[in-house]
Parts: sequence; C-alpha cells; structure tokens
Amino acid sequence: MSDTEDLIEAAKAGSVSAFTELVHEYREGLLRFLVTRSGSFADAEDALQDALINAYRYLDSYDSRWRFSTWLYRIALRNLASQGPAAGAAERELVDEEADPLLHCIAHSERQNLWLTARRVLSDDVFTAMWLRYVEDASINDISRVLDRSGSWTKVNLLRARKALDAELNKAANGSKAYG
Amino acid sequence: MDKLKDALRHDAARIEVQVSAELDNRIRASLENTRPASQPRREQRKRRFPFWLASGLTGVAASALVILLVRINQPEQTVVAANPEQQPAGEPLEIPQLRMESAVFTAPLERELDDLESDLKKAKQAVSEELRLSF
Repeated sequence: MSDTEDLIEAAKAGSVSAFTELVHEYREGLLRFLVTRSGSFADAEDALQDALINAYRYLDSYDSRWRFSTWLYRIALRNLASQGPAAGAAERELVDEEADPLLHCIAHSERQNLWLTARRVLSDDVFTAMWLRYVEDASINDISRVLDRSGSWTKVNLLRARKALDAELNKAANGSKAYG
Repeated sequence: MDKLKDALRHDAARIEVQVSAELDNRIRASLENTRPASQPRREQRKRRFPFWLASGLTGVAASALVILLVRINQPEQTVVAANPEQQPAGEPLEIPQLRMESAVFTAPLERELDDLESDLKKAKQAVSEELRLSF
C-alpha cells in the first residue's frame, strides 16, 4: 500500500491530519487554477476551501483508478458549476479588470501570459481541458471524466485550442518583431 | 516538448499564488468540524449488529419459554395418548339432581304452556330451597 493510500484510509477514518497531509501538495496547483476561474482572489480561496471540505466529506467515494489531483479538480469544478452562471466567464465580464486575480498573480514578463490569452479565446471547458492536459499532465480519459465529455470531444477541442493559442502566440511574436 | 506546451507550463508557473497561513487555519478549522460521509454509516452498521443480536436472542428465548410452559402444562395428556389403557382415575363429576318432572305434551298448547310454567316455578322453588339449606 502506498503512502497516498495509507493517508486516504486514515482520512476516511476521520483523521484531519492525514487529509491535510494528503492534499498539501495539490493545494497550490488547485488554487492557481481557481484564480483563473474566479472573480476575485477571495473567491478563489473560498472555492479551494469548499473543494477540500467536500473532498474530505466524500472521500469514501474516491475511486483509486483516478489520480487524486484529477478527482480534486472534478470536485472544484462541480462547486464552481453549482454556484451558477455568476461563476466563471460571466462573472469575469462583470468584474473590474483591476480586480482580476489572475492579472494580480501573474509575474511580470515581456509577453502576455498565455493563460490570459487562453481565457480570452477559449470556453471554460476547453480552458480547463488545456490546463489539465498541459499543467497537470492529465490523460485524455481523465480530462473527459472530469468534464463529463466524450474522449473524442476532448481530443478535438484540445487540438483546436492548441491551434488557436499557437496562432495567438505567433501573432504576438510577429507584433513584437514589427514594433522591434 | 513542443514550444506551446513549454510556454503553457512556464506561464502557469508564473501565476504566483500561495496558500496563506490564515487560509490554512481556516481550512483546518472547517475540516475539524466536518465529518466524513462514510463515518455515520459505519457507526450505524456497528449499532445495528447488537440490536439484531438482542432481538434474535429475545425471540429465541421467548419461543423456548413458550414451548417449556406448554410441555409443563400438558404432561398427562401426552401419557394418556401414549398409554390409553392406564387412564388416571379422576374424581367423577357430580351431576346435580333436579327434581323435575318431564313434560308430556298431551293437552292443547296453552295448557301445556301453563303446566310448563308451573313446573318451572316448582323447580325454581326447589332449587332455592336446596340452596338455602346448603348455605
């Protein structure tokens, strides 16, 4: 039995310490993702807290065939979805750009952060699929399960998203050359 | 690793977030007040077992008691059934002797009715006398 499985068993039995240790390595990654999907940093923190509490409460339903991080993402996404259309893209449109947590959290760079571009040109689900694929190294199968989509939908949309982001990346590169 | 994948990873790492000590404490406090959904079910399962055992044992004990009582109350009948010749000589029941004459229906019905009524009256008097004597 691996350490993760030991921790899961202990957490299922009611050990908060075991659960805290279990989720410690995933917290920041999940918060980073939630910042891209929330209207404010406080909302992202609340979403992280809700996701972890639900994960602890329903740990018994965790299927070990899933990666634990993927399962956490699924819970977090369900929480976001249960908050209704106010969460996600619709909320971001109403939020003042200065309050955008993603803009605040991005370190200064010469070019625009690709995830800002991704958020602008992709739908929420496709954005999430890209994040899971390229940040969390999730398999097509896991992404499909998290998003409740078919494998072919995931493959096709990842490919389209890559093309769209490639085009944006090239456009930005050409623009900087033109100005340079 | 292709250029886009590299850029996406790099840019994700540039989103600087940190779980603050305050958020950490808040999450821990919430977890302390949360019970895993699996726990109540397990407790229920643990609780159900003694109830089941207790009710089962009570049922068995009650059945045994009833069987025992029935056997204690009917030992002679069993013997009688097994040995019909050895019937126990119980005390014979005394048949009360009523001093009554049997009615003979020879007259018209109205007269017969009168006779029956007077017979009944006599019989009542006789019984009441006997009762008075016996007490």
